[in-house]
Amino acid sequence: MLLSLALWVQATDFFTYLRGSGYAYPIVLSMHMVGIAFFGGMILMTDMRILGLAMKKYPVSDVVDQLRIPKRWGFLLAGTCGFLLFCCKAEEYYYNIFFRLKLTLFFLIFVHAMTFRGSVYAKAGEFDKRGIPGRAKVAAVLSLVLWAGVACMGRGIGYIEPPWGIHAQLFDLLHL
Amino acid sequence: MMLIENPLNESELSFPILECIHIVSFAFSVGTIALVDFRLLGLGMKRELPSQLHRDTFFWTLGGLISMILSGLLLFSSDPDNYYLNWAFDLKMVFLLLAIVFNYTIHRKAALSDPPGGAKAVGGISLFLWGCVLFGGIFIGFLNSTLDFSQI
Repeated sequence: MLLSLALWVQATDFFTYLRGSGYAYPIVLSMHMVGIAFFGGMILMTDMRILGLAMKKYPVSDVVDQLRIPKRWGFLLAGTCGFLLFCCKAEEYYYNIFFRLKLTLFFLIFVHAMTFRGSVYAKAGEFDKRGIPGRAKVAAVLSLVLWAGVACMGRGIGYIEPPWGIHAQLFDLLHL
Repeated sequence: MMLIENPLNESELSFPILECIHIVSFAFSVGTIALVDFRLLGLGMKRELPSQLHRDTFFWTLGGLISMILSGLLLFSSDPDNYYLNWAFDLKMVFLLLAIVFNYTIHRKAALSDPPGGAKAVGGISLFLWGCVLFGGIFIGFLNSTLDFSQI
């Protein structure tokens, strides 16, 4: 089911063009990198501030609140480009272990956001007065680990060459 | 001719690991520079002054740049010929040089003066230069040592 969806999307005219283009594909990939550099930096600085490692002169709430919206734009840019890149080679990605790990990390990031949103990120104003609690530091460390993991898994995707090794064979064997 | 083997090429893992370090490093360096740029453009961190933001990100920018350049040099050393013949690499180096010089001269001066002079232009140029560096980096991998301008 997922595989047939993947096969369909990469066979569409647009993604066939994008996959084969000498310049459009690397341009989308470059935009993906721009998203990572400009807005990944904001994630790093937010977490570093919570850990007390950077921008200590500013209230935590200044950093957390003011970067919330720019980070969303950044995520939209990196995410849109990432989705386009995925659609170009959807079948390959379907089998790619690093892509699967990356999606798993995104799921964990979603869980992280749901867990800490109310207790940490929405309450940055309180930290200014009472200090930064342990749970906020745990959230920051987890965020750093998860996002660094996403970047590394993303890089790993490119290292798996078709025919995608044991995974594809296994899937063929099971007629999935 | 005596061939000296680069120890980096002995392990398949060294190149991708260095690439990951390179990516996280530029998230630090370019990310913190972009933060100042967004402030100059009036797009973020408006409660802070550009001069404050510049000072308080200074060491993270510098640390990120050093780690980015060191990991970049190591990546380059794995196959210098391939990079030497790659026009995207040449462009990337030109833009990198421009971006670094711009960052520590005009960009620094604009950020440190409150109110900053020509803030929007400086922020825009800085983002553009670093964007070009990133584009160059990606294109290196798509032009395997061919000097092919015909596709443009």
